[in-house]
Amino acid sequence: MNDAHSEQDWRAWFAEHGARLRLIARQWTRSDADADDVLQEAFVRFWKHQRHLPGNPNALVVTSIRRAALDLHRRTDRRALREQVVSVDAAAVADFEPEADPRLQALASSLPALSAEQREVVVLKIWGELTFEQIGAQLEISPNTAASRWRYAMEALRRLVTARTYE
Amino acid sequence: MNNEDQDIESALRRLRPRSPGPAVVSAIGRALDAPVAAASPAARGVILRWSAVLSAAAAGLLGFLFFTRAPVTAAPEYQLVRAEQPPAAVDVFAPVRLADGSFARPVRVRWSNETQWEDRRTNTRLINYSPSEQFGLIPMETY
Repeated sequence: MNDAHSEQDWRAWFAEHGARLRLIARQWTRSDADADDVLQEAFVRFWKHQRHLPGNPNALVVTSIRRAALDLHRRTDRRALREQVVSVDAAAVADFEPEADPRLQALASSLPALSAEQREVVVLKIWGELTFEQIGAQLEISPNTAASRWRYAMEALRRLVTARTYE
Repeated sequence: MNNEDQDIESALRRLRPRSPGPAVVSAIGRALDAPVAAASPAARGVILRWSAVLSAAAAGLLGFLFFTRAPVTAAPEYQLVRAEQPPAAVDVFAPVRLADGSFARPVRVRWSNETQWEDRRTNTRLINYSPSEQFGLIPMETY
């Protein structure tokens, strides 16, 4: 990750990291529109107030996204409960660019089949670039629990990809 | 972590998340670019200078209006243009017995006087309306 502490233009930083940050926001929201709103609010807050803080800027921006998502959940809790089931199905492959490799395509379409708990650990580790310790701090679970969810997720993905590749 | 897990992990890293749409970038730009420009010292100086100029202009305008109003040089010259006294209303009540044993009939009379005064120079009119009421007892003879 480029150094967000420096005085570089936010557009360059966002062009490099926006896609993976949006995927992280998508894990904690119920629709693409909500993910965009959360990403926008979190990034503005991070860039204005937090990027100069000491520590890992990557963890800071992920924290900012999670807080914005939780705020949105509180505001729209009743409405969103009705939309949750629909959004999980619709999100299947649309979160990633199309892939020519059928195995990668199968992997992309298998991610939504994971439980929400396993999926958020996978997304935070791969695209959030966080350690199990940092993931545990984000999700308020122990690092061991985060690692355990990761292992179960890998096992489930392996099974799903194998099944979908040879369908 | 076994080799199969590493395969899955490396495959996951090859997936490319979709970029946020241009609307998101525009919205972030509105939030981040505009306040920075407004908060710069140069911009703040321009705002302060304009505020001072506008305040001075407003004060000057108020002063101009205050001092250039047509002065009232003489006392008003009101003349009586109308005087009116509508018919009085008389209410006659039931007879009452007074302390000395005699009888009297209470009567209430209400009327009003209205006068209008006009100053033709300033085209202003003063209306003076004064309602009045009087209460009396008419002695009654008893046989």
